[in-house]
Amino acid sequence: AHSSSELCRATLEGSSSTILCSFPVHRPAGILRHPFRVLKNPRVSLQKKLVPVYSSPLNSQPSITLISAPEASMDSRLANTWRPTVNEKKFIETALASNLRIDDYNRKPIEYRQLTINFGREDGSADVQLGHTHVMGFVSSQLVQPYRERPNEGTMSIFTEFSPMADPSFELGRPGESAIELGRIIDRGLRESRAVDMESLCVLAGKLVWAIRIDLHILDNGGNLVDAANVAALAALLTFRRPECSLGGENGQEVVVHPPEAKDPLPLIVHHLPIAVTFGFFSTEYTMVVDPTHSEEAVMGGRMTVTVNASGDICAIQKAGGVGVPQSEIMRCLRLASDKAESITKNIKDAVEAFNTERMLRKIKRHSTAVAANVSIENDVKGQKDKLAGQRVNESSMSQMERLKLKPDESSISQNDGLGSETRSSDQISSQRAEGNAPLFLGGPSSWDPHTHGVDPDFLKASLAAQGKSNPKAEQSSEDSDDDVAMQEKDASEDVKPPSLATDSSETVEEQKTSIVKKTLKDAVKPKNRRRKKTRS
Amino acid sequence: METKPSNGSPAKFVDQLVVPGDVILDLSTMAEQTIKLGGGLRQDCDAISVIKAGILRFSKPNKYWVESSQKRYVPCAEDSVLGIVVDCKPDNFLVDIKGPSVAFLPVLAFEGGTRRNIPRFEAGTLIYVRVVKANPGMNPELSCVDATGKAAQYGALKEGLMFECSTGLSRMLLSSPTCPVLETLGKKLPFEIAVGLNGRVWVNAGSPSIVIVVGNAIMKSESLTKVQQKIMAEKLLQRVQQE
Repeated sequence: AHSSSELCRATLEGSSSTILCSFPVHRPAGILRHPFRVLKNPRVSLQKKLVPVYSSPLNSQPSITLISAPEASMDSRLANTWRPTVNEKKFIETALASNLRIDDYNRKPIEYRQLTINFGREDGSADVQLGHTHVMGFVSSQLVQPYRERPNEGTMSIFTEFSPMADPSFELGRPGESAIELGRIIDRGLRESRAVDMESLCVLAGKLVWAIRIDLHILDNGGNLVDAANVAALAALLTFRRPECSLGGENGQEVVVHPPEAKDPLPLIVHHLPIAVTFGFFSTEYTMVVDPTHSEEAVMGGRMTVTVNASGDICAIQKAGGVGVPQSEIMRCLRLASDKAESITKNIKDAVEAFNTERMLRKIKRHSTAVAANVSIENDVKGQKDKLAGQRVNESSMSQMERLKLKPDESSISQNDGLGSETRSSDQISSQRAEGNAPLFLGGPSSWDPHTHGVDPDFLKASLAAQGKSNPKAEQSSEDSDDDVAMQEKDASEDVKPPSLATDSSETVEEQKTSIVKKTLKDAVKPKNRRRKKTRS
Repeated sequence: METKPSNGSPAKFVDQLVVPGDVILDLSTMAEQTIKLGGGLRQDCDAISVIKAGILRFSKPNKYWVESSQKRYVPCAEDSVLGIVVDCKPDNFLVDIKGPSVAFLPVLAFEGGTRRNIPRFEAGTLIYVRVVKANPGMNPELSCVDATGKAAQYGALKEGLMFECSTGLSRMLLSSPTCPVLETLGKKLPFEIAVGLNGRVWVNAGSPSIVIVVGNAIMKSESLTKVQQKIMAEKLLQRVQQE
């Protein structure tokens, strides 16, 4: 569905030219915007508060020129600047005439370099390598007051840091023109296309909303920073988890932010992934490359960045100056861009999924060791508790279990867009809850695990009611538990109701406790369907 | 030089990995000998100590130096390097040789060079030059003639493509016997190559594909052993020959 090329118009404005395309119809208005309107948008001026990086719109004359150099002497600057040789320009163009690229013999002009996405231990940190280009993205959040015009929406801002270790031409201090342009392209791709859902970030309308901050650090400039930084931003956004908060207080106006141990942090709602694809144009006719390297960038005549998502919606196009390109060539680039966007989107989603499963496994394993540890702690710390206290805790835990049963449904729906199957996400939540359960024994907002065992409340109650018996019992029951592993599953579902006798429950719980340990370790690799069936019964 | 069992015996350290702080020579034990120290070594009264991590090398009769591989180049006299012309002044060309400061190439330092036939180098020209003087703190001096006054391949390099690599790799490419990667490639492909000790390599051939193959092969052989280099080069050649 590509409309005819007559509809494309190139408009020039000052030193930058922006292209207006009325492209495939049936796209929601938010995605394809008139470039001028963006600049006149009053939001831009407000953003000056939070986004000093690109406070001056693109069409103003550069107060953005490369400037205020630090005390680097003239000589060392001369020595350290990278320059292309005369031979390079000639050679790159000759090679492109035979469809060859200089960095890799096997790479075609329309091919991307190898894209590698890694994640850090924390949620919301991603590290992307595209050939030699290396970019890191971090996402963080903060509660702030919303803009007056948009009291129900959260805010998002992008900060870029062009570290001097990436390229000798990057200097600390005021960002250069390319830095500002990069930030603007990524911001436009995410904001104008409504990729991240802003309304879900509202906590208290008009008073408190979440402000998402994306930091992009350029570590190595091997060419094509825009694409790599965009992927880093998207990967970080997909793995970011913001704290859950609830309203409390007398009139429901107080906001309580729950720490991650109390309640699992929530992912952001990302509707689609806008991928930036950069093209380089050379002075020889119709020579175009995708994903230019550092040397190609130095000798190319012009560049264009197209931000498009996997469904083929054009989110943004940026062509700032450079050689003129005919319409047919632009259309060809747009088509190419949506193909590339599909494969990159798949790449990102696979990497994010792998990270999420690995995180979930980490939490399951932690749960099993934490449970065993806590039993012994319980016995040391607590004195003789009466049954009442035990029952009270149990009841509160029961109500929490009911409440929390609803939660998995909500969050799994929100996760459906970005991540894998519903079963997997709900299990992830349940295992996260199981992990959260361990350190908080004394009631309070602990996360119970209604899905795996249903044993936990009883286990808790029993350990409170029967101290000093657990350890020797554990040893005894470990022998019994071997027989009971099979029966334990049935017990689990039955034990949802509080058993009448503390002693009985303590026995079953002791067995189950040791078999808990066994079960959870096994569960790390057990197929998930099996668990789900059991809880439904 | 006698080999002493105690510390400071040079034979023990030659061709070994040394780190800053190692004392490789004790001058008090050797009188009336002139030792030449190259890069990476420093004299502290009677002890010669290492100041740069690397491999200690010795060449007869009395030259010691430490060899290490970096991406930046420390200018040394009598090195042949590849420079890029930055600017032209009335008296010298300013040339970037990947060192801490730009180097000067006098306009008359060419074979048969007079004020009347000064070569025209525009900014960005690649030239193969020799380092004449390299004192710390001063800009190095270059020349396009060798010690006897002949041109000897020095001068501007036309066409082809220049790659940047580490100083260790360029030393390996210049070693004799010929390093395996160049040998394997040279058997099948016709190309010419200029290696600068400052970590720059220039390759030229009839067709751009050969240049790219050779360039890629050289860059990949940075951390490979001799055998691995040979295998890698052969694999690359096979792929090229298939087309």
